Amino acid sequence: MKEIVVLSGKGGTGKTSITASLAMLAGSDAIIADCDVDAANMHLLMGPDFANSQKFYSGELAEINYDICTSCGICAEKCRFDAIHLTNNTYTINPLSCEGCGYCEKVCPTHAITMKERFSGYVYFSKIKGNGSMVHARLDIGAENSGKLVAKVKNEAKSLAELQNKTFVIVDGSPGIGCPVVSSLSGANYVVLVTEPTVSGLHDLERVYSVIKRFRIKSGCIINKFDINPKKTEEITEFLKKENITHLANIPFDQAFTQAMTQGKTIVESDSDLHQLLLTIWNQIKLETN
Amino acid sequence: MRIAFTSTGKNWDSAIDPRFGRTEFIVVYDEENQQLEVIDNNAVKNEAHGAGTATAQKIYEIKPDVLITGNGPGETAARALQQLNMKIFVDAHNLSLKDAYEKFKTNQLTELNLQ
Repeated sequence: MKEIVVLSGKGGTGKTSITASLAMLAGSDAIIADCDVDAANMHLLMGPDFANSQKFYSGELAEINYDICTSCGICAEKCRFDAIHLTNNTYTINPLSCEGCGYCEKVCPTHAITMKERFSGYVYFSKIKGNGSMVHARLDIGAENSGKLVAKVKNEAKSLAELQNKTFVIVDGSPGIGCPVVSSLSGANYVVLVTEPTVSGLHDLERVYSVIKRFRIKSGCIINKFDINPKKTEEITEFLKKENITHLANIPFDQAFTQAMTQGKTIVESDSDLHQLLLTIWNQIKLETN
Repeated sequence: MRIAFTSTGKNWDSAIDPRFGRTEFIVVYDEENQQLEVIDNNAVKNEAHGAGTATAQKIYEIKPDVLITGNGPGETAARALQQLNMKIFVDAHNLSLKDAYEKFKTNQLTELNLQ
């Protein structure tokens, strides 16, 4: 089983559209994991059935036991996040401000405060179109993505893939270069980078590649919308050469991307010429991971 | 010499865990008394953030002479591990602990330069 992670660094490069197309082309050969949990949107293209779900807990939240609380106010005074307020003579925790640091639990003289696991959202197990399966998540308001959640989504996808003897796990990776990205990468066999020829496209590609390089994972890059800035495309091509990253393909700017998206379709489901190009890309990725 | 492995299981037949921070177990082999010691890393695995540095802290407490792992530590964990006088060998995932140890003994593993 091969784990392929798609990353971009910068948002808006077309990462999710391309991942969804690869997912369609892989069909029943793959389990899809949407680890871009902060703004998960691959489900818009994949038509999941949300068949099974699990509650997900991450981080902690302070809770006051009012049988013991003497309303002394020490917690509210010490809280660095201004999360405890006196309303109607009762101290209450504002869950959106509470960072779960546990300081109030330590300073409470009557031990009325305990730290509880915080409900952060749901992890879903879905059947998707094209006869595939997908593991994805939805965060509650104010909850944040974490290395833990990414690891959870990925591990569930991997165990499904092993159970059902699938050849691939395709991961829509998290943005940025922080904890969730490190968690997206660990254990991966191949990274597909999706970039665009803009100043921030190249800048963020270099940043995210510095993380990949540390883990020595073989990578290939797609330059999406390559024809909107030939000079930057050339710079990116130079960078790929220098870093020994496989240059998988250049995709031209095409409104078919947006048109397909507004219909809730992946590009390979539309009658666009890009279908053939994406198929070539997928076949090359398969060769690269062999 | 004491050798630590990031491991998906508790014995010689277990596979090396490619993850450093969120490894399932840390297994330590003491060549002197030929004993395997298993440290459950579940608590760290379930940290929302900072798993890498928390595992680095554990390794610091274990103080092995050698660490054998997969992808290797990330940026911050690597910086913490620099404080230890320990050799790190990477890319051992897809191997069992036994095979990884054998490869280590015959100098077939890649050493990670933390600098």
